[in-house]
Amino acid sequence: MMRHTMCYSWCGPGPAAARNDSPRLSPPAGPERAEHKSSSHWSRLLSRDGSRGGDWLAGVAGFPGGRRPGAAMASVHESLYFNPMMTNGVVHANVFGIKDWVTPYKMALLVLLSELGRAGSQLDQLERRRLNRLLLPLLQGPDMPLSRLRKAIEECCPNLAGSVHIRLKLIAEGELKDMEQFFDDLSDSFSGTEPEVHKTSVIGLFLRHMILAYNKLSFSQVYKLYTALQQYFLNDEKKCGIDENDMELTSTEELDGKMEKEELDVPLREEEISCSGPLSQKQAEYFLSQQASLLKNDETKALTPGSLQKELNNLLKFNPDFAEAHYLSYLNSLRVHDVFSSTHSLLHYFDRLILTGAESKSNGDEGYGRSLRYAALNLAALHCRFGHYQQAELALQEAIRIAQESNDHVCLQHCLSWLHISEQKIFDSCVLLEHSVNKSLHFGLPYLASLGIQSLVQQRAFAGKAANKLMDALKDSDLLHWKHSLSELIDISIAQKTAIWRLYGRSTMALQQAQTLLSMNSLEAVNVGVQQNNTEAFAVVLCHLAELHAEQGYFAAASEILKHLKERFPPNSQHAQLWMLFDQKIQFERAMNDGRYHIADSLVAGITALNSIEGMYRKAIVLKAQNQMLEAHKLLQKLLIHCQEIKNTEIVISVLLSVAELYWRSSCHTIALPVLLQALAFSREYSLQYLASETVLNLAFSQLILGIPEQVLNILHMAIEPGLAHGAVLDKGCAMFLVAKCQVASTASYTQQKKAEALEYVGSSQTVMALMLASRMYENPQQ
Amino acid sequence: VCLSFLISKVFNSPLFLQEDARDLDAYTLAKSYFDLKEYDRAAYFLRGCKSQKAYFLYMYSRYLSGEKKKDDETVDSLGPLEKGQVKNEALRELRVELSKKHKAQELDGFGLYLYGVVLRKLDLSKEAIDVFVEATHVLPLHWGAWLELCNLITDKEMLKFLSLPDTWMKEFFLAHIYTELQLIEEALQKYQSLIDAGFSKSTYIISQIAVAYHNIRDIDKALSIFNELRKQDPYRIENMDTFSNLLYVRSMKPELSYLAHNLCEIDKYRVETCCVIGNYYSLRSQHEKAALYFQRALKLNPRYLGAWTLMGHEYMEMKNTSAAIQAYRHAIEVNKRDYRAWYGLGQTYEILKMPFYCLYYYRRAHQLRPNDSRMLVALGECYEKLNQLVEAKKCYWRAYAVGDVEKMALVKLAKLHEQLNESEQAAQCYIKYIQDIYSCGEIVEHLEVSTAFRYLAQYYFKCKLWDEASACAQKCCSFNDTREEGKALLRQILQLRNQGETSSTEIATPFFLPASLSANSTPTRRVSPLNLSSVTP
Repeated sequence: MMRHTMCYSWCGPGPAAARNDSPRLSPPAGPERAEHKSSSHWSRLLSRDGSRGGDWLAGVAGFPGGRRPGAAMASVHESLYFNPMMTNGVVHANVFGIKDWVTPYKMALLVLLSELGRAGSQLDQLERRRLNRLLLPLLQGPDMPLSRLRKAIEECCPNLAGSVHIRLKLIAEGELKDMEQFFDDLSDSFSGTEPEVHKTSVIGLFLRHMILAYNKLSFSQVYKLYTALQQYFLNDEKKCGIDENDMELTSTEELDGKMEKEELDVPLREEEISCSGPLSQKQAEYFLSQQASLLKNDETKALTPGSLQKELNNLLKFNPDFAEAHYLSYLNSLRVHDVFSSTHSLLHYFDRLILTGAESKSNGDEGYGRSLRYAALNLAALHCRFGHYQQAELALQEAIRIAQESNDHVCLQHCLSWLHISEQKIFDSCVLLEHSVNKSLHFGLPYLASLGIQSLVQQRAFAGKAANKLMDALKDSDLLHWKHSLSELIDISIAQKTAIWRLYGRSTMALQQAQTLLSMNSLEAVNVGVQQNNTEAFAVVLCHLAELHAEQGYFAAASEILKHLKERFPPNSQHAQLWMLFDQKIQFERAMNDGRYHIADSLVAGITALNSIEGMYRKAIVLKAQNQMLEAHKLLQKLLIHCQEIKNTEIVISVLLSVAELYWRSSCHTIALPVLLQALAFSREYSLQYLASETVLNLAFSQLILGIPEQVLNILHMAIEPGLAHGAVLDKGCAMFLVAKCQVASTASYTQQKKAEALEYVGSSQTVMALMLASRMYENPQQ
Repeated sequence: VCLSFLISKVFNSPLFLQEDARDLDAYTLAKSYFDLKEYDRAAYFLRGCKSQKAYFLYMYSRYLSGEKKKDDETVDSLGPLEKGQVKNEALRELRVELSKKHKAQELDGFGLYLYGVVLRKLDLSKEAIDVFVEATHVLPLHWGAWLELCNLITDKEMLKFLSLPDTWMKEFFLAHIYTELQLIEEALQKYQSLIDAGFSKSTYIISQIAVAYHNIRDIDKALSIFNELRKQDPYRIENMDTFSNLLYVRSMKPELSYLAHNLCEIDKYRVETCCVIGNYYSLRSQHEKAALYFQRALKLNPRYLGAWTLMGHEYMEMKNTSAAIQAYRHAIEVNKRDYRAWYGLGQTYEILKMPFYCLYYYRRAHQLRPNDSRMLVALGECYEKLNQLVEAKKCYWRAYAVGDVEKMALVKLAKLHEQLNESEQAAQCYIKYIQDIYSCGEIVEHLEVSTAFRYLAQYYFKCKLWDEASACAQKCCSFNDTREEGKALLRQILQLRNQGETSSTEIATPFFLPASLSANSTPTRRVSPLNLSSVTP
């Protein structure tokens, strides 16, 4: 009659898991990484590094395959001469020196600007304001197809959209000289006593950039730009227009070939399809940053690992210097747990980064030494993530040594917290962690500090520290989060509170925290527009919610939640293991409660795969239920020893309870008592209230059998209250039933009135039982 | 170069058909344009020609024109990312036309070759292999098709499944591909049989043999063959970069300088020439100039792999680590299997004092050359720095087992054993080391020889093997740094001997091979496989 399972083995967002995100969201270049919100920082980093990537080569005198077009040209011809078959036309030139290129989209923007200037005062205030708000994202954003641009303008000012279209049409359908004329006219906007555009304004800078870039183009480039513009315009005019030349070529063989090629190209998202033209640098950056932030926040929306890798390979094939793609490819490999290629990509990224780092020396940075230590740090993180703790430690030592040599305290802090993670598996490193928190606060790294606080809280919770202190600590870190609007840490903190309350057996509080998180509007949503709700914190909270419902017998609701989880976190995503475990645990509980032990037994294997200790424990329970006492006892003893070693108190207590049950089942109540008392002492010490009341019930039962019902009633009084408040519906029933039994047992000496009271108890416990049964019947109509 | 030779060969062949005669004018005109690299023009005048040769030239001109335009486009692109998307537009059309002809079986050997090239450019390598095999059947003497085939075959297994025509050309091909696949022994055998079959005067074969010896680091043999080659073919530029590498390794300054001057006179705008000059400057420690020449080589041919790696080495010498990393990375991008570049990257990071980080690179290099002791020694050193002595021992042992080039593995192994207080193993290693050194015949000034003798003397002394101990101590006396210790030890031995004259004389084991020691553990450990999997992520 005891509950079979008691272990909510910790399912809070572990610090390791939580921290998994920290390097990912902050590419390793900067100490400032912790302070910034991931996606924006990522993109910023991309643009910064991307733009300065090439300049370094200029420093090294005449680096081969130089970026000067002339040099590259020479090399092409020479190579053609020497080895006509071997040239792939891949000239290894780093053309990142020039930041802005005139693209057809930019041309359209220029047209828009010039039309804006021409319209001048005709626009009313509202339209003007709307347009001004539109312009900035247009200028800074990636290239987009003309139709989308036109739509955007139309929404602000239909008249202007029309005139832009006409102007573009004139240029595109005219001659080359129209375009040249257009650019000549552009520079007029700066002249005059009262120029339309101020030279140093955002728009002025953009215009001047463009004019400069245009003037730099060679004749053939100008011609190419013009044809590209025509194509851009034509694509908009008739979207699915098939070139006639293509038709001629499309013979049967050609179709075959096309098929083959198309099979290779995995269908992409609409955005990729719509801009099948060349990717501009900004577009590529945008693509990378978008995918990176999706990977972090909402994996399901990102491209599948395979197709993302294909995209990246494509990008890299044409542009080996686009190092950030390597980092994304590293993240992508992490998704599929591919150690080999993730290491490869990571190291490749840093080999490239070292190049850009050297250049930043002039900016007062300390050069590539910095990227070196972050390289080692990231390598350590990688090994940590794959569970190679020894390797991670070696890498960390390296990072620490280099950081120490160059007095980089920020990097040292990062190292320290990773060191904590890698050593956590070996021994308790609270001291290390406390130190880390203090130092991080001192160096102004709130992200790191509050991660540290969170993992400290977790450790302390396991170590049985007082709840109020833990909650205080969490509150303090929450203050930090809100102050720096670290929304994901807020989520984690709430999830952690849920888990702590569950650990302490306060299901109502846990429920409340879970609901808080689920109904909270993420800060991220306001800032970036990315719904940040597919993170680990959400998975944890939802899992707890499902289990809480299952405990109360609402299996339909629980399975509803699990179904939702499955949709949100598909089976091969990062956090899927969480719900898999919970799903099986719930099913197991149910099968045990229904007495269908063979089903429960079949679930054990699945649970063991996800969590070996949990699996062992469940196995023992099934054995116990099937009356294979000896095997069960053996297994439990083994588990007990193991768990005492790894200090998993929760399981220890549960195991003790099960052992006691084994004893009283074999009618050895006197032996069971000391075991139960030990369990009680443990659960009191670690303030695991739920387990405590569970133990008390067991104790009471033993005493009842031993024939001291009055004593039993006394101790039951302390267990019944928390049990009724927080317990599962089955436990409530059991508790009431036990009380009733005791009442009955002690009636011999009781008065009439007390007997009535006892009957009442029996009645109420029956109601609970009935309720529970009814709920179960409701779930399984066929029974 | 190869092509014009081919074309002239076609033209003079006895199979001069009537069709050819009809197209002769157009063909000759087009050929002249082709030689002037006016590909479009050549193609235009060949439009209507029916003969096979004219058709090949027509298609080939179109192909080359597409390639040339593609390269030009690359320079003129409108943005860095667009650059890579430039394609040879002609390829698709060519493929359609050629595949039609192919189906109708109207293609001759050259046509098939071109078709294969087009397919390869379209990344359809499987189809390309089939077509090239067909081409070799139709026209076995066209080396170009064989070469292309060579580029497409990546391992021995693939080679097995090819059905190649049974001609003497096949032998050349096999020898070539064995060299490419680093199966040097087989390659050498093939070349030898070719020489025996009557190709003894072929400079090509001689050069290939020299390169093969270079690949297995048989430097002396390679050098002598190259010298022979230079005599036979004094104006040869091909392969001279390999020759210069050999001279560099042996630090033969005058020879290298002579070679550099000579080549510079012949043609200074050749990749090989630049490479030789680069090596020359590098040997003279003028690393900036060396790097400059390697850069020039790369400008001449960006796909010339060796120069990237060599430039990396130069930057390393100049202590410009970031540039070195960059250069090595480029080399790897051009060829992922370039073990020197991986090794260089490892070295760079080792210099930056990141032993753990460089493990990865050394491992890659080791994977590519599993039997090269240098990578293994490097790996061992890294493990030693990381205090992972077990792995380090494995590496050194393995390095010794695969034939240590630098003869340092054993000493390092011995020192490790010494550190771990495994004196017996340490002594064995030293013994083997000394045997190795002396069996080579040349007694190079190996610093470690004295250390080895000193340790051995002390070891025997501890074991109370007075004869051996005194022999080793005497050896010690012939080295400057251990002389005093040797003398002191000799005195001690004499003293102790006098004390216990009777007890110790009965043990009389020969000097260098104490049978009890060398027999017990070496053979078993020799077979132990190198198991680094515990540390390989």
